Amino acid sequence: MMLGLLMPIILISVFSLAFGGMGKGGEKKTELLVCDEDKSAITKKVIIGIDSVKALEVTETTTDSAIRLVKTGKYPGALILHKGFGDSVNELKSLPWEMKYDQAQSVEMQMMQQYLAQSLFGNVGKMMSEKMVMKNAAKQFAGMDSMSQMIATMQMKKNMESSSKDMDNLQGNIMRIKSSPVEIEKDNAGIVQAVAGTAVMMLLFSLTAMGGRLLEEKENGTLKRLLYSPLKATDILTGKMLSSIAFAVLQLLIMFTFSSVVFGLILWPKIASVLLLIIATAFACSGFGMFLASIVKSRDQLQSLSTLAILSMSVIGGSMVPSFLMPQWMQSVGHISINYWSIQGFFDIFWRQLPLTDIEFLKKVGVLFLFGTVLSTLAFRLFRKNVTSMA
Amino acid sequence: MIEVNNITKSYGDTQAVRGISFSIKDGECYGLLGPNGAGKSTTINMLSMLFAADSGQISINGIDVAKANGQVKSMLGVVPQEIALYEKFTALENILFWGSIYGVKGKALHNKADELLKWVGLYDRRKDLVKDYSGGMKRRINIACALLHSPKVLLLDEPTVGVDPQSRNLIFELIQQLNKEGMTIIYTTHYMEEAEKLCDRIGIIDKGQIIAQGTLDELKKQSEVNDMIIVDCTQTPDEKLLLEKLKATLTVSGNTISILSEDSKKDLTRIVNTCTEAGYEINRIDIQKANLESVFLKMTGKQLRD
Repeated sequence: MMLGLLMPIILISVFSLAFGGMGKGGEKKTELLVCDEDKSAITKKVIIGIDSVKALEVTETTTDSAIRLVKTGKYPGALILHKGFGDSVNELKSLPWEMKYDQAQSVEMQMMQQYLAQSLFGNVGKMMSEKMVMKNAAKQFAGMDSMSQMIATMQMKKNMESSSKDMDNLQGNIMRIKSSPVEIEKDNAGIVQAVAGTAVMMLLFSLTAMGGRLLEEKENGTLKRLLYSPLKATDILTGKMLSSIAFAVLQLLIMFTFSSVVFGLILWPKIASVLLLIIATAFACSGFGMFLASIVKSRDQLQSLSTLAILSMSVIGGSMVPSFLMPQWMQSVGHISINYWSIQGFFDIFWRQLPLTDIEFLKKVGVLFLFGTVLSTLAFRLFRKNVTSMA
Repeated sequence: MIEVNNITKSYGDTQAVRGISFSIKDGECYGLLGPNGAGKSTTINMLSMLFAADSGQISINGIDVAKANGQVKSMLGVVPQEIALYEKFTALENILFWGSIYGVKGKALHNKADELLKWVGLYDRRKDLVKDYSGGMKRRINIACALLHSPKVLLLDEPTVGVDPQSRNLIFELIQQLNKEGMTIIYTTHYMEEAEKLCDRIGIIDKGQIIAQGTLDELKKQSEVNDMIIVDCTQTPDEKLLLEKLKATLTVSGNTISILSEDSKKDLTRIVNTCTEAGYEINRIDIQKANLESVFLKMTGKQLRD
């Protein structure tokens, strides 16, 4: 009953929050890094203008730091105001600024660019169009005395009589922001999301079912017989876990190989990282399956609880909806799910192209091993404690 | 061989075993006889080290089981009350698996498996899935799986539950043969005839305690019971009324009164008169010589099937 009531509510909530923002008036803030290489009054004004946009959460940092943060997926994009920006505004030249973004979060980037456009055109655009008017006025009213020139210029400014050609040039060329991903990626982010998200979710279901085999053994009496034998309770559980992990590794390898063959996921140059992450994911999922099996009394209970737990974890962890589409608080909550760390790990490999020794990648591997260790330790303890009722 | 000294076990607030003590010699067949919930399976589970006793001591071959768990387990073969087999495997696969769990390997395992399958009369069906077996056949494989490693002690927890008479007799023969070959056997049951037939000594267990133990003759002597008079009526008699009138150890089950008597000739007339006065029409009267059932009734105040 809980499954039938709770699960739809959880799913509706997550999808609504992801696709519909905060619902009643609240907007999901998009994080943006800004790098001011120019350090001029104009760039400061620009940054203040961007910061005032409610939908954006602006953080200033250096260019190197920004690129690293975007590359590692911590931020969707960085706006870099290169040296000479202020001068270019004054001289109505092509502005030296660019946007570096994480292509895995391209949807979020598109949303961000909309907010940015409003702010920048209202800010920089206004500055530059005024200068353009002044420039045109100086040309047009060259023969007038200074007083008349001033009055005519003010009138022109009031009417913002820059020609439409000038405005088009301003918006289309001078103010055009060069946008590029931090690296040219070879793997399609959508495929990585689809494969990693689905693989982890399916693995959780498979391994929980394998944990259910322990309960099946309890129900048909063979667990009792195993416990009568010289085998210790921990031996039995270790055996179950190892077989689960082996199965999980095989399952993930098959899924990724399939994706490589059919969808072109570039697997083999990164096989070491892939294998490490697969083993870590398998260990975490196996621990999860064993833990669930150790806290329930029957396979029916296991089925209900596991469906609820796995779907919830998959939703908040990014298996069904990419994490970056969710509000920040939900992305934080997603950290409690195995799915989140595994999916981000696969993004590190296939999308961000982080090497095996990269600390950000290894951190995700470490978290997965920690999940596995904690959950399997709990499972072992509960199993030994409950051996009387188990039998 | 086996020494059990004042063991207890509780499940939460329920005390399943309340200070049981007994000893079993090498090669003996010892029966634990008692109704459901008496503590038989709990005792077997403690003997087989499935879980530890809350207090007391168990030693097998001089080894305290609390200190040498793995070593002792290799000496034991346990036939659980449930049919503990993998139904999706064949009989042969089950036997090979369980044998390997006990460390029997290679050719020795296969030879022993064949020997046991022939012994239980299922060699021809060894490649059939266990799920296709009858209850009796499953019980036989259940026993065979406990013997792969040639244990010194065999613990059987009600091994004939739900079994047809033919298979039951076959199981009895198997157990008698094992005992003849020198295996020490502990056999729990709530069927008196099984205990009488198979066991050298019997411990009568009820409510977590051993009420009495010994050979059948010793138990009869202890209980001072000679005969049991069975009176079959046409209606259900009032047990309380009969107890008041007859002042004897008796039970009423359905329309049948079972009364213990030290002298059936002397008591018979009194019993018939009491029943007639109470208005009970008697269908049939039967006099049974003292047996385990009468011993049990005398010692516990109830019949085993209660």
